[in-house]
Amino acid sequence: MPHASMMRSAMHRHPVTIIAILGLCLLATGCGQTPPAYFRPNMVEATKQRLTPDQEKQVATVLLAMFGTPDEPVCMPETGLDEAKLRLAAGPVRSDIVGRKNGLYREHCAHCHGVTGDALGPTAAFLNPYPRDYRPGVFKFKSTERADKPTHTDLVRLLHNGVPGTSMPSFALLPSAQVEALAEYVKYLSIRGETELTLMRAFFELDDEAQGKLPETREFLVDETLTPIAEKWKAAADAQIQVPPMPADIDLVASIAKGKELFYGDKANCVKCHGVTGLGDGQANDYDDWNKAIVEIGKEISSGSAKARETSTSGMSPDELSEHRAQLAWIEKFGRVLDGDALEPRTIPPRNLRHGIYRGGRRPLDLYYRIHAGINGAPMPAAKGTVPPEEIWHIVNYIRSLPYELDGELGADKPMLAKDRF
Amino acid sequence: MRTCSRNSLLGVVGLGIVAAAGCKAERVATPSADAQAAGKLRVTLVSASTGGGAVAAASTGSGWGTLKGRFAFVGDPGTAKPLLADKDTEVCSKAGMKLLDRSLLVDPSSKGLANVVVFARKTTRVKEPLPENPTGASLVFDQKQCEFLSPVFAARVGQPIDVKNSDPIGHNTNVSGSDFNQLIPAGGSTTYVPKAETGMPTMVTCNVHPWMKAYMVFRKDGYVAVTAADGSFTIPDLPAGEPLEFQVWHERSTGPNGALGLDNADLKWTPKGRFQITLEPDQVKDIGTLEVPASAIGT
Repeated sequence: MPHASMMRSAMHRHPVTIIAILGLCLLATGCGQTPPAYFRPNMVEATKQRLTPDQEKQVATVLLAMFGTPDEPVCMPETGLDEAKLRLAAGPVRSDIVGRKNGLYREHCAHCHGVTGDALGPTAAFLNPYPRDYRPGVFKFKSTERADKPTHTDLVRLLHNGVPGTSMPSFALLPSAQVEALAEYVKYLSIRGETELTLMRAFFELDDEAQGKLPETREFLVDETLTPIAEKWKAAADAQIQVPPMPADIDLVASIAKGKELFYGDKANCVKCHGVTGLGDGQANDYDDWNKAIVEIGKEISSGSAKARETSTSGMSPDELSEHRAQLAWIEKFGRVLDGDALEPRTIPPRNLRHGIYRGGRRPLDLYYRIHAGINGAPMPAAKGTVPPEEIWHIVNYIRSLPYELDGELGADKPMLAKDRF
Repeated sequence: MRTCSRNSLLGVVGLGIVAAAGCKAERVATPSADAQAAGKLRVTLVSASTGGGAVAAASTGSGWGTLKGRFAFVGDPGTAKPLLADKDTEVCSKAGMKLLDRSLLVDPSSKGLANVVVFARKTTRVKEPLPENPTGASLVFDQKQCEFLSPVFAARVGQPIDVKNSDPIGHNTNVSGSDFNQLIPAGGSTTYVPKAETGMPTMVTCNVHPWMKAYMVFRKDGYVAVTAADGSFTIPDLPAGEPLEFQVWHERSTGPNGALGLDNADLKWTPKGRFQITLEPDQVKDIGTLEVPASAIGT
């Protein structure tokens, strides 16, 4: 080892130099280099479905074939996505040959929503509420029925207005071509993420003859997996909720009074969650679907590890013992996956209706959509079916009056500590 | 080595600091995609043909048969824990009545395990006319005293379900992963028509009363059964003369996605909670009592 001995003799003579060299080496090899951006697999789902490394690799390979990389997105024609728009939004921030800004998603979105759209960007953990994870394909604020996708216009409006009361800012200052490109890219990430989820769940549905490998055929991957997801996005434009207009001659005072009655009554039952005060202090220890998924897994892991701890390994057959060990390894891995690939679950507080801040938009129409269809992914249920449209309009009017209500101890004219009001 | 220990110690400490501070958080390693395979696959995917080889023609038999069986729990099921029902107590815990956790219901005398779901995975044909309801009961999904009256509820896709609320307080019924999360006023009802198969049963909750929990399972062919209090189930009018694969599920099962894995060599039970059987026409096949060990059920 001549090299080592040279090092040793050098260390005798020039200790300071050696430390300086070590420091330089660290700089050159360590933190300085940025690896190329990559789509991170949905490790929570992969671990939940107990995928093997080979199966994880197969999903990653299929997704690469279908969607490309964060720097070079491609899309199957079935998605109906506009690849030119995607290229404008994708990749590192840079100017193209005609001086047009590229890499918009990474400039404006990725720090919270993550390169993968998994809401695990570096700032995500510091935000409350957390940013949206696009991968389950569930969106809250839109003009379509509960389980339907948002329309393109819904996404563009949300980017334009931001989401009041959250960290999501308005992008109204961006040129409309850039907002269009970002909306398209969000769809791309969502379709990609939902395809990944579907593929990971498909392993469980496989017959035993498949030997744990998904069929790599166009029929399975495109016709059965990708197309149904893409079709839901395409169908959204025609699935808008038909809202009967609020009667033009409506008596607003009477409407607000009726809305109040509905709010507190057993029919609309808003009071149960939004509270007697309307401050959002009713039933408040529930989770939204994104957080609930993590909570449920947490329960499964803790019950699994409790069971494993109380299981005695003495008297186990070799098969049982290896199964027991595999279970322990799975629990241990899941713990690490949750540490790195999930945020601490948080409960979802019902909206404080005395704020006058409405996340999905403050137009009466926006509030109508929320009450009619409920909020997808959130506990808020739909009133359609049991509450007729004119009554929904009464509730909208009452809710819009709440921040300015004068009677009662919570009246807008009464002094109140901010901590009690918010 | 000894002579330069001080200097090398400095170096080691320096390295240690860098390692501890870290360039990025430690995350579980993920496999990278196979770029070459992905390139080849893309060619297959964008080609117009469905290039996947011929689909093997499913063998179809004739006639119809019935599958029967019973699940029995082996071991001590323990006592059911009371649920934390702290809202609307004047309705939900009337006269001090405690709502109990119903996730493991074992009949004390017969040891029968209730609320196990058994369904056919893929069938080639369905007997017409379709029965009203695969479980035999009327298609009402009701809630009373802050409890869903059917802890596990099965229906055919497209079959209208009357979702009722027999309480004097409002509820909402939230079928996860579906388009249905609906307010049900006090004493009111609404109709829910499931549009898609669930695969494994999906959870139903009431967000106003978070302890309320049930499961729903929807199958296109309606070949699904939920075990009764004595653990028994019957699926009539199954296609005979062809291999049928059944999926078995229990809420508390330790298997993947709730699959109930049993050690049953006769039926070639798989870890995914599946078994295969071929029925003769007009046969009533009784697979007998299937023992569910405590180890198959989680805490």
